[in-house]
Amino acid sequence: MAGRGKESALDLAKFVDKSIRVKLAGGREVVGVLKGYDQLLNLVLDEAVEYLRDPEDPMRVTDQTRPMGLIVCRGTSVMLVVPTTGTEEIANPFQQEEMEA
Amino acid sequence: MIAPKKQNLHGNPSQILPSELIDRCVGSKVWVVLRGDKEIEGTLRGFDVFVNMVLEDVTEYEITPEGRKVNHLDQILLNGNNIAVLVPGGKPEDS
Repeated sequence: MAGRGKESALDLAKFVDKSIRVKLAGGREVVGVLKGYDQLLNLVLDEAVEYLRDPEDPMRVTDQTRPMGLIVCRGTSVMLVVPTTGTEEIANPFQQEEMEA
Repeated sequence: MIAPKKQNLHGNPSQILPSELIDRCVGSKVWVVLRGDKEIEGTLRGFDVFVNMVLEDVTEYEITPEGRKVNHLDQILLNGNNIAVLVPGGKPEDS
């Protein structure tokens, strides 16, 4: 039941040269083209752009960006990796009716 | 070198290893973005397996709602615990 010894839960090879979004501990989000990685989940992203956070709510991210270029994302801070294509925004499935307790 | 390629015989040979990129950066400017609202820019003198970094001629940026505060420091040991992103070459000119 436990995960296999040395293997990573996610095979990043399939994302090399693809654009990915990386969510980092602390609420930062970065999008870039994956150019390299290691077993510790350190990442090399090219043409990276950081999505800036809402000043009122630092846990939400706006559409504003700032360019960063060729960067290393520290594996210790990487929380989530997702390809930028193949996802779409949907209506909130958890939205409760006003009347429900 | 951090995370050397031991079992990666079938790995992608044309990728850039993160630790190699940091290694190439020794001696030049690097921009370090921390997990919170702090950023550090300085010349990278060295780093260890935990990516604790020795930086020289450092500018510390605090990104606060009012704007940025900037400090200057001569030589520092930056604790790698809170590093989120490293950018070789430093901040872009127009930032």
